[in-house]
Amino acid sequence: MDHPLEPLWRGAVVYRVLTLLTVIGVSAFHFREYASPIGAGLVLAVMVGWTAVLARVFLTHGEVRRPFALADPLVSAAIMLTTPLIVTDAQLDASAPGMGSIWTSGAVLSCAIAFRVPGGLASAALISAALVLGKSRVTLTELSDIQILVLAGLTVGFASLVLDRAATRLRRAAAEEAATAERERLARAVHDGVLQVLAHVKRRGAELGGGAAELGVLAGEQEVALRTLLTSGDAQVDASGHRDLAATLRALASPRVTVSAPAHSVELPAGTVAELDAVVRAALVNVERHVGPDAPAWVLVEPLDDAAGVEISVRDDGPGIPAGRLAEAEAQGRIGVSRSILGRVADVGGTVELDTGPGRGTEWIIRVPGGVT
Amino acid sequence: MTVTVMVVDDHPIWREGVARDLGERGLDVVATAADAGAAVRIAPAVRPQVVLMDLNLGETSGVEAITGIVAKLPETRILVLSASGEHADVLEALKAGATGYLVKSASVEELVDAVQRTAEGVPVFTPGLAGLVLGEYRRLAQTPAGEPAVPALTDRETEVLRLVAKGLTARQIGERLVVSHRTVESHVQNTLRKLQLHNRSQLVRYAIEQGLAE
Repeated sequence: MDHPLEPLWRGAVVYRVLTLLTVIGVSAFHFREYASPIGAGLVLAVMVGWTAVLARVFLTHGEVRRPFALADPLVSAAIMLTTPLIVTDAQLDASAPGMGSIWTSGAVLSCAIAFRVPGGLASAALISAALVLGKSRVTLTELSDIQILVLAGLTVGFASLVLDRAATRLRRAAAEEAATAERERLARAVHDGVLQVLAHVKRRGAELGGGAAELGVLAGEQEVALRTLLTSGDAQVDASGHRDLAATLRALASPRVTVSAPAHSVELPAGTVAELDAVVRAALVNVERHVGPDAPAWVLVEPLDDAAGVEISVRDDGPGIPAGRLAEAEAQGRIGVSRSILGRVADVGGTVELDTGPGRGTEWIIRVPGGVT
Repeated sequence: MTVTVMVVDDHPIWREGVARDLGERGLDVVATAADAGAAVRIAPAVRPQVVLMDLNLGETSGVEAITGIVAKLPETRILVLSASGEHADVLEALKAGATGYLVKSASVEELVDAVQRTAEGVPVFTPGLAGLVLGEYRRLAQTPAGEPAVPALTDRETEVLRLVAKGLTARQIGERLVVSHRTVESHVQNTLRKLQLHNRSQLVRYAIEQGLAE
């Protein structure tokens, strides 16, 4: 894909060549009256040389454009400062242009393309200063030249900034699309192979027992991990800053953790999704710690009616948390659960309910309002 | 009576492995098929009680096969056994008429048990499946007014489905709600049946609209 700034660079080169021809033409007209025709010839030769260098760099050596764009206003300003040596006061009084003239405004364009608005403004300031110093006068002509230089620096700088941002966004979208396509391709290929074999090894291993059973368990774990990767992937943040909560939490599925969610996406602001992801992880760690490393846990993601929000349940079949246990832990200064679950949910404006009791297991019910599509 | 089963799967090792597992445990595998076309052709000839259906059949889809088989054999029950766990596909399979869903990583015992329950007409609901069905009813509930009536769950059905999705067994749910596990199963069955009826009526409506448009 052609970078969107490429046409701007080509335009800058075309502008430079055209203004060079204009300046040569105008200089030819004034040639005989110059204080130093030889000097004028030399300066014009330098301009032709510098234009050729810039054309070559800007058109074919994208990687070194920035140093040359930085040098451009300096070279241009130097050329303008030769004006008192070459152009007579009488000529300037008769509105003859200084050395470089309109050609030097091209330096503002290159700087603005390379360094955006700051580059455009700084180079416009430099060229303006050289203009005033070179001609040692400030008339309406100079003021309107300065105005145009600043305006050009601003406009082109802003345009290149916007184009560059658009290109980045486009690139990111293309990358995401490619990643999704690749995942789908892999999913189709893997379905027929690896997943089947892993599931097969798991079952045969369980039947054979002993060492084979151990292999079977490992194969089973990998099967779940791979299936999760292929079906949910990495839930991406979309353009409006939303992320699919269902896909995010599905990634937590494992042989001991079952994640249930709607087939359609449950979009919430990405920040909220990140907090809820952390909350569910904390609740799952809690299950592991208090019920057992192999204790099963179930996560349910459910959009509430009327798009009023979303409810997440994290449940285990353990002995339950005795009444007052949490308050006690908190009083003892162990605020792990409170901070990681209650605090985070409160941060995103949600509520937590704890349903627990002997023979009932433990269930965290987390409700978060609004924004579900 | 021995339960008759047909196994549809495009992967030969898996297909033969499952057929053998089921056979060894006293089920009667009457046929196997590798793609949707073969499945729809063979099924009427052998009239299995249960079709064990993979959803990803190479170039053809399991949902197609389910639609074809259900149209010809309304008494045959379909149990989806899928490796990929593609949520949207599983939901489509259910709407097309499947009454249960199991991931391929399930153990042989779970599989045999699921086939037997499917043959008895009991839906095989995993928590994941309940989550999908709940989500689908929520989605349907949000279709704009003016659309033809969409199916809705009763409060009790919603309650039951949510408990299934939270990992409770039919027995545990029965204890919580003070009803028998049979009642729980029939609630679950109703949630599926309504979804399938809705799907069928939508297909008919679509067909009529297309017919009238031509």
